[in-house]
Amino acid sequence: MKTNFIKTVGKIALILVPAITLSMNASAHDPKMHAKKAEKADCSKMDHSKMDMKDPVAVAMMKKCMKQSKSSMEKMDHSKMKEMDHSKMKGMDHSKMKGMDHSKMEKKENKKANSDDHQNH
Amino acid sequence: MKALKILLILLLLGGASAATVMYSGIVNVAADEPHSDIVYWLLEETREASIKKSAQHIKVPDLESPELLLMGGADYEYMCSSCHLKPGLEESDMSIGLYPQPPNLSISHETHQHGTDEELARQNFWVIKHGIKASGMPAWGKTHSDERIWAMVAFIKRLPTLTPEQYQVLTAID
Repeated sequence: MKTNFIKTVGKIALILVPAITLSMNASAHDPKMHAKKAEKADCSKMDHSKMDMKDPVAVAMMKKCMKQSKSSMEKMDHSKMKEMDHSKMKGMDHSKMKGMDHSKMEKKENKKANSDDHQNH
Repeated sequence: MKALKILLILLLLGGASAATVMYSGIVNVAADEPHSDIVYWLLEETREASIKKSAQHIKVPDLESPELLLMGGADYEYMCSSCHLKPGLEESDMSIGLYPQPPNLSISHETHQHGTDEELARQNFWVIKHGIKASGMPAWGKTHSDERIWAMVAFIKRLPTLTPEQYQVLTAID
């Protein structure tokens, strides 16, 4: 009697477990639409020249992008940047850097050398 | 006295007929089975008249502030866009499945709208705050302040003019 009961429960479990598992995977026609992610503003496509700064939409977009860039700057951990050893960077072998057009870099290198000395931090 | 008796009998008959229709189960409440034209018209006219009357004394604030667009944009994206759509999204599970079908707020409805911008703004505020019975439109006023609801009204006002790129920036999180 007891073994019959156990067999019946086993059979029911065999049917129910896969059925419940499959039903939990049932999804709508586009599951991506249900996975809402918190997106950051994509400010790269903003064309400032075409923006009318009297338009509240343009002003709102500017504010959003400025706030976002400000908060991302604040999140940068400047304290850890002190550990960067710029003296070792002088030994960089530019000849191994393929595709770099050094003729265009001549004028900028002096400026870059000045900005690398961390006085700006 | 005789007229009163007839009226009473008619009332009883009317009540009995209504109860028969109610409890027989012959009324199809499935959302994928549309109302007949006459029932749809009756419900729509009743709804519009009710909203118009209820919203008539609401004072509309200045809706041109960029801050309102930013506040309302984020709320619209998370509370409204799945039903009322957004630039670049022409349909969703909710917009297809709900009945009555929620209006697509990302396109201009100038041909259907009656009244001034101000009337429309106060009606939108009332609908967002109080919701609409048996339509799937919730009463956001139970959980959101008037300020946030006005921000959504301001955003909805500009929504049909937005490109998908503008919408993305205005509705993104900070």
